[in-house]
Amino acid sequence: MNVAATVARTAGDALRRARLIPRLWIGAGCVGISILLLPLFFPLDGKPHADWLQFFGRFHPLVVHLPIGLIVILPLVEFAGTRRQSFREVAGFLLQISLATCVVSILFGFLLAYGSGGIGTTVTRHMRGGILLAIELLLCLAVRPSWLRAQRSRLYAILLTAVLMTLAWTAHQGGSLTHGSDYLTRYMPATLKRVLAPSAVSSHPNSFFARHIYPVLDTKCVACHGTNKEQGGLRLDSYESLMAGGKDGMVIAPRNPDGSLLLQKVTLPPTDHHFMPAEGRTPLTREEIARIRAWVLQGASPDAASVLGIFIAEDQEQARPPVGDYSAFIVEIRQMQQSQGAKLVPVSANPSDGLILRTADVAGTFDDAHLTKLQRFAPFIVEAELARTAVTDAGVETLSQFKNLRALHLDGTAVTGRTLGKLSSLSQLTYLNLSGTKVTSDAAAPLKLEPNLRHLYLFNTPAEPAPTADSGVRSIQ
Amino acid sequence: MKQHALCSDCEDKITPMDLPIPDGLKEEWSVSESRRQFLGRCGKVLGWASLATLFGEASFRHLAFASGPKPQPGFGENTLGLPHFAPKAKRAIYLFMSGAPPQVDLFDYKPSLALQFDKDMPASVRGNQQLTGMTAGQARFPVAPSHWPFSRLGQTGTWISDLLPYTARMVDDLTFIKSTNTDAINHEPAIMLMNTGNMNAGKPCLGAWLAYGLGSMNDNLPTFVVLQTKTNPKENNQPVSSRLWSSGFLSSEFSGVGLRSVGDPVLYLGDPPGVDRDTRRKMLDAVEEINRQTLAEVGDPETNSRIAQYEMAFRMQSSVPELADLSKEPESTWELYGPEAKEPGTFAYNCLLARRLAERGVRFTQIYKRGWDVHDNVVGMLPVLCQETDRGCYALVTDLKRRGLLDDTLVIWAGEFGRTVYSQGGLSQENYGRDHHPRCFTTWMTGGGVRPGVTYGETDDYSYNVVKDPVHVRDFNATILHCLGIDHNKFSYRFQGLDQKLTSPVPAFVVQGILA
Repeated sequence: MNVAATVARTAGDALRRARLIPRLWIGAGCVGISILLLPLFFPLDGKPHADWLQFFGRFHPLVVHLPIGLIVILPLVEFAGTRRQSFREVAGFLLQISLATCVVSILFGFLLAYGSGGIGTTVTRHMRGGILLAIELLLCLAVRPSWLRAQRSRLYAILLTAVLMTLAWTAHQGGSLTHGSDYLTRYMPATLKRVLAPSAVSSHPNSFFARHIYPVLDTKCVACHGTNKEQGGLRLDSYESLMAGGKDGMVIAPRNPDGSLLLQKVTLPPTDHHFMPAEGRTPLTREEIARIRAWVLQGASPDAASVLGIFIAEDQEQARPPVGDYSAFIVEIRQMQQSQGAKLVPVSANPSDGLILRTADVAGTFDDAHLTKLQRFAPFIVEAELARTAVTDAGVETLSQFKNLRALHLDGTAVTGRTLGKLSSLSQLTYLNLSGTKVTSDAAAPLKLEPNLRHLYLFNTPAEPAPTADSGVRSIQ
Repeated sequence: MKQHALCSDCEDKITPMDLPIPDGLKEEWSVSESRRQFLGRCGKVLGWASLATLFGEASFRHLAFASGPKPQPGFGENTLGLPHFAPKAKRAIYLFMSGAPPQVDLFDYKPSLALQFDKDMPASVRGNQQLTGMTAGQARFPVAPSHWPFSRLGQTGTWISDLLPYTARMVDDLTFIKSTNTDAINHEPAIMLMNTGNMNAGKPCLGAWLAYGLGSMNDNLPTFVVLQTKTNPKENNQPVSSRLWSSGFLSSEFSGVGLRSVGDPVLYLGDPPGVDRDTRRKMLDAVEEINRQTLAEVGDPETNSRIAQYEMAFRMQSSVPELADLSKEPESTWELYGPEAKEPGTFAYNCLLARRLAERGVRFTQIYKRGWDVHDNVVGMLPVLCQETDRGCYALVTDLKRRGLLDDTLVIWAGEFGRTVYSQGGLSQENYGRDHHPRCFTTWMTGGGVRPGVTYGETDDYSYNVVKDPVHVRDFNATILHCLGIDHNKFSYRFQGLDQKLTSPVPAFVVQGILA
């Protein structure tokens, strides 16, 4: 005899015995219903209550997974019941246990929320979801005997589906409370994210705040200071609410990081009673604090794109496609390195970093014809050091075929800029030095439209912008 | 006892190729040995081999073989597989403030000290710090607050002394390290440690390591150039010597080449009357032929260096005059560097030269400015020193920046240690002195590889001890190597049986907090 049947029979016996004492059932029902009605008598008021409430409440996450597991397995057992009668009886038992543990979870959950003063839409949703689940389970229990008698009744199947859906939704709300609302979407592929989770801070999506401050607040603070809960009357889920502060006043004092309550709280010793994030949640990293500090020091602007002193690699470099393997040419490249003339030098020991075209010691004689000869190496060349060479506008046209070019030095050459527009085919070009050439602002105009060309140098040219600051660097926002 | 292979019966079949020596040495042997030398040396080898069997096999491994990989001189081929990773900076310019600038008066702002004037620095702050002979006998250590006010400047709100009005303009571009610290309390060991990673002379300096590891970017100029600033006789000038730019145990072609601060940058650069370029070339070819014969006979790698240096000198005959010709500099250059830059040997002139060297692909340029050793009369001398250097530093960084060179050039400003907060000798409202202080000093970097606008590390209220993020000289050097694409742990040269490194032997760490 198999195990399932044994279990089923034992459970069945227990139930038969239980029927002999209906008073116990009535009592249990009353207790259960009064638990479901608890929120009506003790509404969540956002204030913490007695510690013992929380002590028991904190068992909620432990208990809650029991009904989840039982409910998920219930439809499977019901399905198995169509093949083997013994599963039917197991399913009935499972349903009862699910309901019982569900009610217990609700009790603990309520104790947690009421005891800790948790409040907010997510808390409410989670609680209502739990109660709804219990009611649905109760209905299931009521409908099931008729379903067992008349196999065609669909009501039970519909209710069971509703139970599963309610369970998924409620569990998600609970997950959001503990892990933050972006737990699932955080590492979602960008394309999927755009469809499913549009950014919460949309007014300045490229600002330093949106890219580097908001995500920190969202993961580390918003669980308690957001739509879910509003501890201390403080919400940190938007720039406006961050700057508005909470019950204790402003939390960010622009240009005064030491006077900013938020920074004070996150930098307290972790054992301090006022340390944030509270309740053993993940503290902010030093890097994150440094970002917030620098951002506050420099005015806590909602739209500034960058903050001095804070360098974030992803701002500077988009993933560069690796350059192809040049090892087939390595003999030729070595020969070039050992003879007089222009050289191709590896950027690093890693071949996919590409080659640098170096002409410093033959600069005076290196001209467009030499450049044309190097065209077959073009796919591997990421940087062309052509400063003070005899390269001209024709050479620039040749260079527009060097598709992997990231940095191009043309300073001190005879380039007039006539053909600079051709360089728009170099999608990876981020650095272009035209200092000391005859390039005019008209000739340089097409370059200013290139989004990736972040470092364009026009010092000592007719195109040089009027000296505003101390440098001739034009930074493109 | 185990018999050594060389002592078996087949003595007549032994060649050096059978010996347990590094492959590089065998290769060298096979190329450069004459028959006579081979036989001569064979006898010695047999003697050593039999001796080795007496001491046991292990003793063989302790024989000192200098057998690091030998890069080809010239023409930039890199056999070392460097850089290890794509570097942010291709070259570096090191502004060395010899004598040790006082951090308390320049960068490390301590407003609370104003109230401590002439009060004794607590002994607990000094702890067990060894003092120099100059102040060890002092009865008291009275706190001498800085004579000059500080201003908070730039978008980063960095505090900087009013003595440095030009550096103050670029604080947002600089990366300050306030917690640099060293082991030595006297100039020579400290400056040695700063440059070579070791207090004792004989190790290669940073520039030599870079020249060896990364090679040349322009064969017409030295890979590593040293520029000395003319000394001001009123200042307390500590000596600097060529030990500081020596290649140590690396081939001497990696040593720094000093350009003179007075007159011609390189002596006898022009051909003498009656000698034209062809004659010079023929002469050099003949000398090279003789040198190659010596090399073939003796096999001393230094002969190779000599050949390379003759060739370099020949090429420098045309490249250096072009380098030192400032007539084509635009007017904006002089506006930036100031009129002082027209006078060879000044700090500003050297800064301008350093920019021109960087443009021409010189890997490493080190500018020495002596005179920072202000043991007394800080109030009198410090303004002079700042006035001599401040504008040059600013002009160099700004010039590199506007010309697009700062993206791949690392600029470093450092002395060999700091100075004490307490006064050496008499302290009055008008004047004070400052002794050597190894536990903390301020340095700065900017350019390729480091994050602008950062102030890294903190010192205590007396600018005496580091309280946060210490950066030892070894960490400082490891960070410089990192900016140039080198993993300092993997960059070594075997000498005296040890894999020697710039940052060894105590573990060093790249300062991640200042990296871009």
